[in-house]
Amino acid sequence: MGDKTPSLEIHELKFKYPGSAPGAHWVVDVSALVLMPGEQALLTGASGRGKSTLLQIIAGLIEPNHGNVRIQGKDIHALGGAKRDLYRGSQIGMIFQNFNLLRGFSARENVLAALMFSDVPRKEHDARALELLQIVGIPTPERDVAELSIGQMQRVAVARAVATNPALVLADEPTASLDPENAGAAMDLIQSTCQKVGAALLCTSHDPSMADRFNRRESLDQLVTA
Amino acid sequence: MAMTDWTIIRRSMTSRLFSTVTTVITVAIAVGLMLTLLSMRDSGRRAFERGSGNMHMLISNDSSPLVSVLNGIFYANAPARAITPARFAEIANSFPAEYAIPTQLGDRYMGLPVLATTREFFTKFSPNPDFKPGSAELGWKLAEGRIFEAPFEVVVGARAAREANVGIGDQLALTHGTGKEAHVHRDFLYKVVGILEPTGASHDRALFTDLTSSWIIHAYDRRKETNPDAGKPTEADLTDADKLITGIYARIATRPDMNISAMIPAQLAKLRADGNITVASPSTEIQSLFRIVGNIDQILIAMAAAVMVASSISIMLALYNSMEQRRRQIAVLRVLGCSRPRVFGLVVTESAIIGMLGGLAGFALAFIGTRVVAAVLKEKLGLVVEPIFDPRITFLVLVASLGLAALAGLIPAAVAYRTSVARNLRPTD
Repeated sequence: MGDKTPSLEIHELKFKYPGSAPGAHWVVDVSALVLMPGEQALLTGASGRGKSTLLQIIAGLIEPNHGNVRIQGKDIHALGGAKRDLYRGSQIGMIFQNFNLLRGFSARENVLAALMFSDVPRKEHDARALELLQIVGIPTPERDVAELSIGQMQRVAVARAVATNPALVLADEPTASLDPENAGAAMDLIQSTCQKVGAALLCTSHDPSMADRFNRRESLDQLVTA
Repeated sequence: MAMTDWTIIRRSMTSRLFSTVTTVITVAIAVGLMLTLLSMRDSGRRAFERGSGNMHMLISNDSSPLVSVLNGIFYANAPARAITPARFAEIANSFPAEYAIPTQLGDRYMGLPVLATTREFFTKFSPNPDFKPGSAELGWKLAEGRIFEAPFEVVVGARAAREANVGIGDQLALTHGTGKEAHVHRDFLYKVVGILEPTGASHDRALFTDLTSSWIIHAYDRRKETNPDAGKPTEADLTDADKLITGIYARIATRPDMNISAMIPAQLAKLRADGNITVASPSTEIQSLFRIVGNIDQILIAMAAAVMVASSISIMLALYNSMEQRRRQIAVLRVLGCSRPRVFGLVVTESAIIGMLGGLAGFALAFIGTRVVAAVLKEKLGLVVEPIFDPRITFLVLVASLGLAALAGLIPAAVAYRTSVARNLRPTD
């Protein structure tokens, strides 16, 4: 963890959807944002302000109109198709509000799916998946995720997000589907797991109660370019 | 165990089990139909070729060589024109014959053809093309009894015995002609002395008797037309006008270890120079018959190919419809690091696997289907067809079903390839 390369560097990032009117506001407008390895930050902003879109740009799923995003020093948008996908798979973990687990697959297989596209040696996959599921507290790794409780699904999503030892975990409104009690437990898990694996965490939320959990808080309104 | 592309494909197929199974069945039916048609076409041809046995020529007075073969070997109709004994002797002596067996058709028993001939029919001719006259193997075999030795004895083909329900010792009255002109030879009864083993040839549905008795009953008929009080003639009473035949099964002499002779074409040409007789090379005529029906089986095979294409379209539709449900799964896989080409490959591979499973199931269906068809042909036509799958053609059909299925997967794969990750990861509720 002595690496000084930031896990995430955003520079002059701007994005608007194709077909937008010429004078329309940028959906995403971030002048600079840096997250060092292991650092955890909360990104706040009103609904529709572009938090999810920013995370998808960071993950290389959407092309920005301007600026760049570096993950572990590498400009993710400069990477072509399959290389970018593989880089995302090994360097970025994503947690969603609705978990986005693979239905019809077991908890173990959901974690294995993340490892499948990583550079983790294949023979280590199974042991690692079971270890992570144990860490997040899933006692029945072979159960279909559809049979798990909401809280358990969130745990599987967390295990999947950190399975490849990513440099960065992006959590998009991870507690929006949960009641306050479960939300607290889920955030505890996400933050502690990221800490354990040394991943930087960028978490979006419009829930004001989340602010106390993070030493670093960034508002999208304050990140706007001059 | 690590997760692989195969795990994802298998799970995708089993999660839509009904759709997968019905699609595999559709492909299996198409492939089964194609393989059955191809197998039966070749096996059927071999079965027809078996009818002509070890003869080289069929000589008659029919209107054409093809008609001669259809009548003389496959018992389509009784030949209309006869050959006199003098003409038979002249023909038989005009070439180096291993045998020239006179035959006469015209009578029937319960609709089954009766071939009047000599004992040479059983000792020198055989439905098996590899039979060498004089050999103890590959010739006719009796299930019961013996070959006819005296007039008014009859030997019955295997299927004819079953159809007419006759056994050794039964007395039969034959019928001459068909329809309104048919009449029963009530004054002469034939005794069944032998039942043949099945041969797989058209002869299984015929009865065989000696020429002399046939000449006697027809001579009696003719004499009764002019003199209703005429008595039954004996062999000694027969004249050359009574001793008519309708065909000659002929084989040219060959070397002991050979089944064909270099002389055959020249002898055929020499005999054909006589415009008063029809000389048929059964194998050539059967080939020309198959050339005629070949157009029909090409149409059938084209239809089977169309069914295979239709089954591929059903794969495409099944996968295409599943894409709507799988968009989120694809988006998640993409987030996890699965590239677009790999997503494309997953769908094409799934489609190809459905095609391969359908192909293999189709082969199993064809294996059963050909045996069912062969049983029906044996039952209805007495034709013994041994279904054989040409390994090369079978392989090509299976590869075609896999290839068509992979092609069918291209459109759903393109849909998967273009799936928007951002749009499909959004919460739905």
